Amino acid sequence: MSCSPTPRFPENPFSTRKTRPGAIPYVFPLGIDCEAILTRLAQHDWRGAIVGPHGSGKSALLATLIPAIKSGGHLVVHHELHDGQRRLSEKTIAPKDDADVVIVVDGYEQLSRWNRMRLQHRCRRRHWGVLVTSHGEVGLPTIFRTGTNMELACRLVRELLPLADKTISDTDVSAAFTRHEGNLRETLFTLYDLYESRREDR
Amino acid sequence: MIQPRVTLHLHNGSREYQPGDSLTGEYRLDVVNRWDIRAMEVSVLWYTEGKGDEDLQVHYFYRLSADDGDYINPFRPGRFNTKLPNSPLSYEGVIVKIRWCARVRLFLPHGKEAVDEAIFRVGRIPYARAVLP
Repeated sequence: MSCSPTPRFPENPFSTRKTRPGAIPYVFPLGIDCEAILTRLAQHDWRGAIVGPHGSGKSALLATLIPAIKSGGHLVVHHELHDGQRRLSEKTIAPKDDADVVIVVDGYEQLSRWNRMRLQHRCRRRHWGVLVTSHGEVGLPTIFRTGTNMELACRLVRELLPLADKTISDTDVSAAFTRHEGNLRETLFTLYDLYESRREDR
Repeated sequence: MIQPRVTLHLHNGSREYQPGDSLTGEYRLDVVNRWDIRAMEVSVLWYTEGKGDEDLQVHYFYRLSADDGDYINPFRPGRFNTKLPNSPLSYEGVIVKIRWCARVRLFLPHGKEAVDEAIFRVGRIPYARAVLP
């Protein structure tokens, strides 16, 4: 694949386009991979939660798991919930009469307690799987806990920066990571600003 | 083994355009066997790049698909031509940028793809500068 913008249109390596879930492959801890997590999910009858703090890679992990779930023959219905979204739209919950469905809800704690119960009840009744992300325990088996560390942050930044680009150093990453208490998303946003302020082409 | 490749070239070498200008370009497909090409798409689009949600709009698009019986000849360069709209203009901001690009995607067996894109500028809005606090 060749994809090469000319130097007159340089991209910021920390833009959403480059850092959104799925744009960078999820980095699994040693000894864990996509298959291991799916096996755990299957052992729990395709019901499970990915739990972790803000910016720890829950959505990135989902972006890696969803294609694998699909390639296993499941129909995935993916909901991404944002602040204040207390319910799922009835029309988009899932197609009817499809037995091999996995409902994925990113940001499950946004749902009201009542709507969580309704969703779980519906999934149980129709034998659908349900995989959610959350910041804490939500009454579903925790199949994986996401986390971050400085080494991971530095590694991701090195992968994002073009070769030989020294605009951002490990010290910058460390400062941003500490400031945002391990929140990788916020760390990358800060590095976006830093990169813009140091660009030589401006 | 030779990797399938797409090469895209805009006829205006400076890649600077004004609204209403005609954008013309040419692409070449390098594949060993033409039967390997499942489909091909040419698009001219703008997208936003920055820290927030992304936006995108396709201005010009065409697709040729072997499944639909279209004949895709990789041994002759293809050409495209479109008139650029009045807006949006390219913008190199700090928080958000608006980029125009022409893109050619080649769809190959087993879900493989080859892509080339050429970013160009529409209008002459000066670059924004980041101001440090």
